[in-house]
Amino acid sequence: MKRRLFVASLTASGLVACGPVKSQLTTSLHDTLAGAENLNHAVLGTRGMAHLYSEADIDRDFRVNGLNTPTDTRYATAARDNFGGYRLVVDGLADKPQAFTLAELRALPLQTQITRHDCVEGWSAIGKWRGVPLATVLAMVQPQAGARYVFFHCFDKDDQGTEYYESLDLHEAAHPQTLLSLDLNDRALDYDHGAPVRLRVPTQLGYKSAKWVRRIELAAAFPAQSKGGYWEDQGYEWYAGI
Amino acid sequence: MTETPAPGEKVYRHSIAARVTHWSWALAMLVLVMSGLQIFNAAPYLDASDKSDPAHRVLSFDAQTAPGGAPAGTTTLFGHRFTTTHVLGYTDDGMGGEEARAFPGAITLPAEQDLADGRVWHLFFGWVLTISIVIYLVAGAIRKDLRELILRPSDLPKLLPMQLYYFRLRKEPPPHGTYNPLQKAAYTVVLFVFVPLIVLTGLALSPGFDAITGPLIQLFGGRQFARTWHFTLMALLIGYFLTHMVLVFSTGAWNNLKSMVTGWYRLKDHDGVGV
Repeated sequence: MKRRLFVASLTASGLVACGPVKSQLTTSLHDTLAGAENLNHAVLGTRGMAHLYSEADIDRDFRVNGLNTPTDTRYATAARDNFGGYRLVVDGLADKPQAFTLAELRALPLQTQITRHDCVEGWSAIGKWRGVPLATVLAMVQPQAGARYVFFHCFDKDDQGTEYYESLDLHEAAHPQTLLSLDLNDRALDYDHGAPVRLRVPTQLGYKSAKWVRRIELAAAFPAQSKGGYWEDQGYEWYAGI
Repeated sequence: MTETPAPGEKVYRHSIAARVTHWSWALAMLVLVMSGLQIFNAAPYLDASDKSDPAHRVLSFDAQTAPGGAPAGTTTLFGHRFTTTHVLGYTDDGMGGEEARAFPGAITLPAEQDLADGRVWHLFFGWVLTISIVIYLVAGAIRKDLRELILRPSDLPKLLPMQLYYFRLRKEPPPHGTYNPLQKAAYTVVLFVFVPLIVLTGLALSPGFDAITGPLIQLFGGRQFARTWHFTLMALLIGYFLTHMVLVFSTGAWNNLKSMVTGWYRLKDHDGVGV
């Protein structure tokens, strides 16, 4: 490992000295540098618990960021009658795939957590989240032995029509603070904050906490061409604990 | 070997581990500062609080356009506002134009605004820095040359005379070992305070690290405060680097540079030769 680091740092010094060199060199250099993600994942991983704050710490006007709130027919249809027609589909490599109504989700044991949301951009906000631990829902659908990842498919799309999605491995998904949140700051999630269901992963950066979740899929691997999420496909790390 | 080497003689001063890690550390610091400024640009403000809070803002960069006027960049430090157009706030976008951004493309890595790439550089070279420092300290402890540069209580009374000598208010430096008391003070603070703290405050920005270390982040005043400390420590290390450059170049640049490549240093008048 030391040798690889040293060789890479020599390559990097060459790049800094020569200015932007766009070629295969930059691609292979980028891949080498991005290899630190595996090291960070192995060293930090998902351990311990996110700090729990008090009511006084809450940002009542919780910052809105990310893709625009969806306005298309699919979301509008789901949102009608207070999301009466919404179903959270949980399927893929599961023995008992299910589609949950909001009422069914709310009937499950709920957890409340006041945790800090850390954006990859560098800012943070504190919110009071209430929802169903993801582990509860996963246990109900009974993941198959081959399932390794949990994918979250969302209603929002970017300007090119690319859908937002995210993923966690089963270990991260089973963390007791990983939540399918339904409420923020004592009120049902509003449209801008991801209604009706937003993933909440307080042990990782904010882009993991996908808004407007419509389907949860258990999978054995990433789909072809996928790096595991919308931002991951644009060069951000899949392991977002750092 | 009991004879004291005289001025003009060469002494072997820097071990191979010290020389290699000196340069890998220097490269890592350069990449970390440039990629760090790139990352900073994504949220160009610093708060003295746990969560982001404009009421506790210490430093911020903004761009605004007066009606019918040209865009202006401003820097606000402790509530004092300065116009810094073309330098900070509204500046070089790294692609030949200008845009609203805190630090210019000339000193960020990559030059154009690209948070994802900035993070890739930063998170890799954070390891290069950490591994370099650990190797340097372990090798220095084994070879026992580390103790020549650690500041001791007996050095404290010599700090002022040494400073007076630098100001040419005193003819002779106080007697000292391989490194003079001010050098020892600088190296000790950098190695044992600044560098460990900049690594820790950087790690404290990551939710995965905070979940493991629990109350550590509260020691820094929370996440945004840790980000402010991280930035401040960068400024202090740049200050150390500039001082280091002035002294390297004013005390025999070639001899100093060569010794950090070959290990061999030619003694000058007043040079200490080990305690």
